[in-house]
Amino acid sequence: MTARRARPAVVLKVPSRTEFLAVVRDVTRAMAEVAGFNRGAAEEIALAVDEAATNVIEHAYRRAADRTVELRYEDRGEDLKVDVVDNGATVDPKAMPQVDLARYATERRKGGLGVHLMGKIMDSVTFHRTARRNVCCLVRHKPEGAAGGDGAEGADETR
Amino acid sequence: MSELNVESRELEGVVLLYPKGFVNAHTVRLFEGEIQKALDRSQYQIVVNCAGLTYIASAGLGALMGVIEEVRHNGGDIRLADLNETVRNIFEILGFNHLYRIFPSEVEAILSFRGEGEGGGPGA
Repeated sequence: MTARRARPAVVLKVPSRTEFLAVVRDVTRAMAEVAGFNRGAAEEIALAVDEAATNVIEHAYRRAADRTVELRYEDRGEDLKVDVVDNGATVDPKAMPQVDLARYATERRKGGLGVHLMGKIMDSVTFHRTARRNVCCLVRHKPEGAAGGDGAEGADETR
Repeated sequence: MSELNVESRELEGVVLLYPKGFVNAHTVRLFEGEIQKALDRSQYQIVVNCAGLTYIASAGLGALMGVIEEVRHNGGDIRLADLNETVRNIFEILGFNHLYRIFPSEVEAILSFRGEGEGGGPGA
């Protein structure tokens, strides 16, 4: 196996407004494709990051529109790591009820699907707080054969 | 940039919704509103034609889940047609393909309601 080349981190800062979620999605998809994921996998990763940014806007910032959502993309060679960072209220994702789709509709719930979706798409989703900032860390491994954007074919794996 | 618009029409008692663009936390209220308009008219047989839907996030999926109990309780259903690969994949990741009937085309989705009550009843 050839060594996969890590790349410098890229940082994107967007206002905490839902109209910028489309920008988050477009940039994330592009970053994932540059990292070597194929289009389908890149779309999935973009969705997971969209969900994380949505959670920040809706829960950490409670829809305050004058805050900033920071996204830090890091191609580490073996995987793509995306940190979604805010300085809003700490939200404990473990406090959110687990999604049981069979019961979800009868409970007439609407929330909670985003975290569930993030967990299905990414290999790792972790939350921690550091220096008064909340960090949601999303990691997706590249399948064997993905070259980290060095010119080989993209990672051909979707969930 | 066109984010979302939702056209609707009615055929054989079935409400057809045509979301064009994407449904996420920014646009979901429009999507929910169009579904709610049908429910307010007591129309519970709904087909969402997804041909123009480029992307749906959990907010949109939540909107579907939020009303499905009411719709089915009233003898109707929300059925989906013509999903692109991205949208279909999102549905499959969450297992929504087991909760909602998905059809390759709008016509098949409409016909599936025949014989299921007032909308497009037998012989329609």
